[in-house]
Amino acid sequence: MRSRFDEQLDNLFKDLIMMGSLCEEAIALAAKALSKNDSKLAAKVHPIDEEIDRMEKEIESNCLKLLLQQQPVARDLRQISAALKMITDMERIGDQAEDIAEIVSFIPKDKKNDSLLIEQMAKAAIKMVTDSVDAYVRRDPMLAQSVIDSDDTVDHYFDQVKSSLISLITENPDDGEYALDILMIAKYLERIGDHAVNIAEWVLFSITGIHKTTEEHSV
Amino acid sequence: MTKRIFRSILLVVIPVLLAGLIIISGVMYSYLTEVQEAQMLSELSLAAAGVEQKGTDYLSAVRSKDFRLTYVSSDGTVIFDTESQVSNMDNHANREEIKEALLGGSGKSSRYSATLTEQTLYYAKKLSNGNVLRISIDRASVLSLLLGVLQPIAFIFLVAIILSVIIANRISKKIVMPLNELDLDEPMKNDAYDEISPLLSRIHRQHKQISMQEESLRRKAEEFDQITSNMQEGLILLDSKNTLMSVNSAALRIFDRFCFNPGDSFLTLDRSHELRDALAQAEKDGYCETFLSRDSKEYRVNISRIDSDDKPAGYVILLSDITDKISAERSRREFTANVSHELKTPLQSIIGYSELLSNGMAKPQDIPTFTATIYKEATRLVSLIDDIIRLSQLDEGVQMQTEDISLMPLAQDIINQLSSKASEKNVSITIEGENVDVRGQFRLLSEILFNLCDNAIKYNRQNGNVAIKIWQTDQDVCFAVSDNGIGIPKEHHSRIFERFYRVDKSHSRQSGGTGLGLSIVKHAVAFHNGKISLESVPDEGTTVTVSIPK
Repeated sequence: MRSRFDEQLDNLFKDLIMMGSLCEEAIALAAKALSKNDSKLAAKVHPIDEEIDRMEKEIESNCLKLLLQQQPVARDLRQISAALKMITDMERIGDQAEDIAEIVSFIPKDKKNDSLLIEQMAKAAIKMVTDSVDAYVRRDPMLAQSVIDSDDTVDHYFDQVKSSLISLITENPDDGEYALDILMIAKYLERIGDHAVNIAEWVLFSITGIHKTTEEHSV
Repeated sequence: MTKRIFRSILLVVIPVLLAGLIIISGVMYSYLTEVQEAQMLSELSLAAAGVEQKGTDYLSAVRSKDFRLTYVSSDGTVIFDTESQVSNMDNHANREEIKEALLGGSGKSSRYSATLTEQTLYYAKKLSNGNVLRISIDRASVLSLLLGVLQPIAFIFLVAIILSVIIANRISKKIVMPLNELDLDEPMKNDAYDEISPLLSRIHRQHKQISMQEESLRRKAEEFDQITSNMQEGLILLDSKNTLMSVNSAALRIFDRFCFNPGDSFLTLDRSHELRDALAQAEKDGYCETFLSRDSKEYRVNISRIDSDDKPAGYVILLSDITDKISAERSRREFTANVSHELKTPLQSIIGYSELLSNGMAKPQDIPTFTATIYKEATRLVSLIDDIIRLSQLDEGVQMQTEDISLMPLAQDIINQLSSKASEKNVSITIEGENVDVRGQFRLLSEILFNLCDNAIKYNRQNGNVAIKIWQTDQDVCFAVSDNGIGIPKEHHSRIFERFYRVDKSHSRQSGGTGLGLSIVKHAVAFHNGKISLESVPDEGTTVTVSIPK
C-alpha cells in the first residue's frame, strides 16, 4: 500500500519536473523568437503551451486522486498541495510565453529589436523559472529563496524598459505601436517572474511547511 | 519450538493416561464382579435355607435394596418376588438360569439392559421341594463405569494440557536461550550444545566466504569508481526505470551538480527534452546518439540500452566533450577557405596583368609597372606558399636538428635584415640584455624573432620604437619584443595566433604579409616546448614574451 503510494508520489514528482521543463522550453523559445524576431519560432510555442495545459489537467486529477485515495498527512500532504498550487503558476507561465510569442508574430519583420534590455530581462525571467524548477528538483530551500529575492531584478528591468520605451516614443512617435508591443512583452516577462516566485514559495512550503502567507498571518 | 515440545508432551501424557485408565478400570471391574458374585452366592444359599424352613414368609421378611429374590415353582410360575407383584409376572420356565437350575440344581446367567449401561446377574438354586429360588442383582457395566469417571478424567486432561503448556514453554525457553546468546560473529567461540557445533562451523565458514566476497565486491566497486571518476567523459548508469544508479564526477560537472542520490529519477539531473527524447529513442532502438550544448561546451551523448534476458535492464549514457573537436573542425574549414582565397588574390592580378600584356593592350609606358606588379604578386604567392609549407611541416611534427644557439647574434642578424624596412618608417630598434645560449632549431628561432620584429615594425607608427630584450631565469630562456605601436584590442588577443586571422582586414592588405606569421611563431614556440604570452594595449603598444625551457 505504502510502496504504491510512494510510487505515485514519485510519478507526481517526475510529472512536475516535466511540466517545469516544458515551461522553461516555452519561455526560452518565446524569448529566442523575440530576439530574432522570427515568427516561425514563435509558432512553435503554441503546441508546447497546449502540452502544458494538458499536463496541468492530468497532474491536477492525479493530485486529487491521491488526496482522496491515500489521505496523505504531513510531508506528503504538503508535497501534493504544493504541487496543486505550482501547476497553476506553471500553466500561467506557459500561457504568458504563448502570449509573448503571439505578440512577436505581429511585430513587423523590419523592426529589428535593437535594445538589449528586453533580451536581458527575458534571460533573467528564464533564469528565475529554471531556478525555481531546479529548487523543486533538488529540494533546495536556498535556491528557492534566491529566486524569491531575484524578483526585484526583473522588476527593475521592467522599469528600465519602460523608461527606454518612453524615450523611444518621444524621439520617434511612429514607433508607438512597436513600443507598446515591447511594453506588453516586458509586462508578461515581469508576470512570469512573479509566477516563478510563487513556485519558489511553494517549493519552500513543501520543504519547510511554512508558506510566506501563513507566516504573515501568524506574525 | 514451544508448540512442538507441547505436542510431544501431550502425545506422551494422553496415551499413558488412557492406558492407565483402561488397565485400572479393567482390574477393578473384575475384582468387583468376583466379590459381588461371591456375596450373591452366599446370600442365595442363606435365602434358600430360609425358604426351606419358613417358606415364602421368610422371603417377605427379607427386604433388601441390593438383591431381588424371586421364588419360582417348578413349572415356572412365579410364587413370590421381592420387588414386583406376582400377578404381573409371566412364566419364568424359559429363563435360562431357571432352566439350568431345574435341570442341574443351580443356574446362572446375565443379561444386559436395553441401554447396555446396566447388567443384571441371575443365580438360581433348586430347593428340596423342587421349586427354584433366584437371586438377581443390577450392576453397572464397564461402559457406565467409564461414563461415571468421565468428568474427573476430563479434569485431569485439562490439568495435563495446562501443565504441558507451561512445561513446554519452560523447556523451549531453556533450550533456546543459549541459542539466542550465540555470538554469530565469532561462531567458533561458543560452547552452547555439542549438537550445534556442525552448524556453528558451517556459519563460520560462510562468514569467511561472505567477508571475502564483500571484500572483492568492494574492491570492484572501488576500481569502478576510480576508473569512472578519472574519466574525461561523463558516464551515467540508469536502471530500466530511468533511475540513477551511478554518475561519475565528470558527468556531475557537466550537469553542474555536486552530488546525486542513487534512486532519484534521471529527470533530477537533467530535464532537457533532447535527452528525454534520446532516452525514449534508446528505449525503442537500443542505441541513440545526440548532441548537447551546456555552458558553451558541446557534448556528444551516446545512450545504449542494456538488455538482460531480452528485457531492458538499464541504460548507459556516455557524454564526451567535443568542443575542441568542433572548433578544430571549424578552424580547418576556415583555413581551407582562407588559403584558397589568399592564393587566388595574387593569382587573379597576375592573370589580369599578363592577359593585358599578351593581348598587346598595354601601353608601352605601363609595361614596367605591370611586370613589376606581376613580379610582386608572384613573390607574395611564393612567400605565402613558403609559409604554408613551413606551417604544415610544423603541423606534421617533422623532426629537425637542434643545436646551441646564441640569441644575441641572432637578434642582431635579424635587426640587420629588417633595417631597411625600419628606416622606411623611421623606427628605431634596440637590443638589451645578456647573451644567452639556448638549445633549439636555428631556422625556427630566427623565424620567431623575425616575425615578431617584423610585426613590431609593421604595426608601428612613424618614429616608433622596437625593443628586444633577452634574459634568463632558473628554468627558462626568455626574450621579449615590445613596441609602442598601434596595439591590439583585447577581443582579438585569443585569435591573433590563428591562421590568416587579421585584426584589421583592410590594414593588412597595405602592410603586406601573409597572415600566417604569428601562427608560425606559435607553432615554432610549441616545437621548443616554450610558452608565448601577449600583452597589448591599443594605441600604447604590444609586448610579446617567449620563454623556452633550457
